[in-house]
Amino acid sequence: MSDWSKVTRPIPVPNELSKPFWDAAKQGVLALQRCQSCGHFQQPPYPTCVNCMSIDLKFEPVAGKGAIYAYTIMYHTGDKRFAPAVPYASIIVELDAAPGALLVGNLLEAPYTEAKVGRRVEVVFQPLNDDITLPQFRLARAGGAS
Amino acid sequence: MWDNRCKIAVSGVGFSQATRSAETPLAAHALQAVKAAVEDSGLAMPDIDGLATYPELPATGHTTVDGISIVSVNCMMAMLKLPNLTWHIQTGSVNIGGAVQQATNALLAGVCKYAVVWRAMHNPRGTYQNLPGAQATGPLQFTAPYGFGGPGQFHAVAYARWLERHNQQREKMATLTVTQRKHGLKNPHSYFKVPLTREEYLNSRMIAHPLCLYDCDIPVQGAVAIVLTTAERARDLKPRPAYLAGYGQRLVFEVAGRIPSLSNYMDAGRSSAQLTWQRSGFTPKDVDVAQIYDGFASSVIYGLESYGFCKEGEALDFIQGGRIELDGDLPLNTFGGSLSTGRIHGLWHIIEGVLQASGRAGERQVKDVNVSFVGASAPIVEGTTFIFVKEPY
Repeated sequence: MSDWSKVTRPIPVPNELSKPFWDAAKQGVLALQRCQSCGHFQQPPYPTCVNCMSIDLKFEPVAGKGAIYAYTIMYHTGDKRFAPAVPYASIIVELDAAPGALLVGNLLEAPYTEAKVGRRVEVVFQPLNDDITLPQFRLARAGGAS
Repeated sequence: MWDNRCKIAVSGVGFSQATRSAETPLAAHALQAVKAAVEDSGLAMPDIDGLATYPELPATGHTTVDGISIVSVNCMMAMLKLPNLTWHIQTGSVNIGGAVQQATNALLAGVCKYAVVWRAMHNPRGTYQNLPGAQATGPLQFTAPYGFGGPGQFHAVAYARWLERHNQQREKMATLTVTQRKHGLKNPHSYFKVPLTREEYLNSRMIAHPLCLYDCDIPVQGAVAIVLTTAERARDLKPRPAYLAGYGQRLVFEVAGRIPSLSNYMDAGRSSAQLTWQRSGFTPKDVDVAQIYDGFASSVIYGLESYGFCKEGEALDFIQGGRIELDGDLPLNTFGGSLSTGRIHGLWHIIEGVLQASGRAGERQVKDVNVSFVGASAPIVEGTTFIFVKEPY
């Protein structure tokens, strides 16, 4: 299992587009930008709906369950901040409720070898400081819905 | 078919030395390559009246200094002081292939007569791809906090998905890398001068699984250049020309900050290839030799499949059994690819496509080449495609 305890992560800086995402994450809620015209979810947030060009976009909470869409296991230790966690899994997650909107995360609480395309995961929240909480993922707990 | 089919040709080509570290400023490499291409054409520098490049350094976390880490059109203008210059451009959205296409368009428009396109690549000190410092701004706020965005990772995620969706094995990639290195040993400009064995490939260290060391091109400092002109003028120049039968570019859009390697590579590559097949009048079956961008070995998969050389999910089987050897059904990356020459981007692939079409590829020349195909960038990122022919038929 990757040891994340000694890793110092770059801190996200919210901007005009992304502030609602980080505000929600701080409250333990995963919220994604959704087009109010066609219903399309998108991540990262964008000035217009990439599906229908509408500018009527709002952030809406989404259920944090989904599947690993793709992944990589990082072995390179060029970045000394992340070197203590090598090898670690960076995963790309597609949420059941927001197909096409892809979120990046690490696979927490499991050996990196558990990262496989299609594996079920669920969101967990990892506070970085008083202002920023990072949405992360772990393997979906047995007995949980879907 | 394209009205301008075979009306533009590539004449001379030029190379600088490629070194691992940046002992001399990049501007000197670019100048060396440009001078060599002009000389190879049999032209003199005052004949050159068009300049185009794609200057970007694809490394992250390094400062940009013109003449040191990039060579802009402005820098080249300052060095050459061309007395008859009438046209220049720097491209952004489709990498160096876009610069070649813009030069083609300028020649067709009659706004210049002899255009030089160069690609100069710097190798910065330290790690090539760096995550940002203490703060992650812009699109990086959704990737860098997870340690995602370092060497190879953006390409590795797409490759992992491809392998698992198609129940394929990364070990089969050994054939591509070993064969390309063999081709590269017949290229005097190759960075690597020794063979690569299957065992070395299979035992090499992981960078970002499923990409191992030998799946990644080695960063170098170097430059290459070509001279483009009209077919009529090209016939009067020193080397045998290669005629441009058609070109295309990626038409699938990308949203800033989205994981680019995960978009549909089939749609992106197909869009560029379809334009190229349609404009040239050729099909994949007509191709005698192919250069397909290999900055990361996995990009060759997406090229072979999306351009129509094989079916989706089958590229790693397609390359087996001698098919990509110099005497195979589809000789591939016959100059050794970026995996042999080092990271100088797709102008090298275009140059090899030109040399094969014009019969100037020396020891690595494929026999009886008429149709020479080039995929000059990864189809999922900034893809462009070209077909060069020996005779303008």
